[in-house]
Amino acid sequence: MTAQTEPAATHTVEGAAEASAVHAGEHVETTGAEHSAGLPQFQFQHWAGQIGYLLILFVILYILMSKVFAPRVRRVFDERETTIRDALTSAREVQAQAERQAEGAKRALAEARSAAQKTAADAAAKSSAEAATRRAALDSELAEKQAAAETQIRTARNTAMQQLTTVATDAAEAMIEKVTGVKAPRDAIAAAVTSQGQ
Amino acid sequence: MAANDPIHQFQIEKLVDFGTVNLPVFGRSELAFTNSHLAMTIAFVIVVGFLSLVTARMQVVPGRMQAVGETLFGMIDNLAESIIGHDGKKYFPFVFTIFMFILAMNVIGLLLTFTVTSQLAVTATFGLMTILLVLIVGFAKNGLGFFKLFVPSGVPWVLLPVIVVIEFVSFLLRPVTLALRLFGNMLGGHVALKVFAGFIVTLVGLGLGGGLGVFGFPGAALSLGMVIALTALECLVAFLQAFVFAVLTCIYLNDVVNLGHGH
Repeated sequence: MTAQTEPAATHTVEGAAEASAVHAGEHVETTGAEHSAGLPQFQFQHWAGQIGYLLILFVILYILMSKVFAPRVRRVFDERETTIRDALTSAREVQAQAERQAEGAKRALAEARSAAQKTAADAAAKSSAEAATRRAALDSELAEKQAAAETQIRTARNTAMQQLTTVATDAAEAMIEKVTGVKAPRDAIAAAVTSQGQ
Repeated sequence: MAANDPIHQFQIEKLVDFGTVNLPVFGRSELAFTNSHLAMTIAFVIVVGFLSLVTARMQVVPGRMQAVGETLFGMIDNLAESIIGHDGKKYFPFVFTIFMFILAMNVIGLLLTFTVTSQLAVTATFGLMTILLVLIVGFAKNGLGFFKLFVPSGVPWVLLPVIVVIEFVSFLLRPVTLALRLFGNMLGGHVALKVFAGFIVTLVGLGLGGGLGVFGFPGAALSLGMVIALTALECLVAFLQAFVFAVLTCIYLNDVVNLGHGH
């Protein structure tokens, strides 16, 4: 067994290294084929059959490829491209729309804010104006009341002063009558009292 | 022995034989439905099935399956549009067909015992198809102005002959590099996978033989680890090579579509 396989092993190495020349004689011997020398690829009697058959298969495959397979795949590729492009376009559109809407919303918000501020300012102004009016009204009322009170006081004082003059005249008349026993004229006394009091 | 031969996986095996014919360019050709044809058919059915499933009931909001398909579609669509520009949509079906077909072939190559894209006949066909389209588009769009492709603007006239030759040769090499890059990556990756997988069998056999051979077991484990790591790498390569092919197709198309402006 060992002795028999040994040359075969060396033969394989040689065959790999120098496939044609060294190998030639032994190959004929080992395979027992009728071909002349070297690689089986150079047995030219087999070329025509292989080439002819390959050309036939290739032409059929080429026709199938160009008429059936390639158009099918190309169609799907194109379809996919169109789909993606359309989707992108619509997405961009939607985005633009959303942006426009956001812009509008922002503007509306700003408007609302300014309106609210205006309303607040108006309300503040109105309320302060009202307060001012009310205060003014109150002031005038108070002033009126004060003036009335002052008048009343003045009147009361005048009255009191007149009564005082009368009382003083009466007292002076009585004192003069008591002291002198003479009834002095009332006008003179009154004049005297008035002049004294002033 | 054939099981341990890393090259054997690339052998074309006839499943249904249609006989031998003599063709003008290819000479004696054996026409048959081979394992290569089978793998191509599986890749074709997977691509058509997957795209039908993805695009059957497409929705604007994609489901899980549709999202996977749309990711691949959108990736190549963006690629075509970013490299070629506005005209990218016109060439998208071609680029996407190439991408999906190569991707499916690479991926099922990892699952089956046979990888179509490790057949030079197949990768050369893809490379030639791309360059043929570039030539057709170039002449259709620019007429004889197509040859301006080999005369970059702003080159001193002294250097011009050299530059033109270099540009012309590099243009001729485009289909070759396209074909060889994919072929080489797939070939190398699958050979490496097969070599390490072969090591596992050999070393385990050694270990079972007893004696000092038991040291074969850790070696086998190491090889298994390598196979796992390489498989992960190959998953990446399977996608990457399909993508690189699509990118280069776009770049070469851009050269002739936008010839003269933005060069």
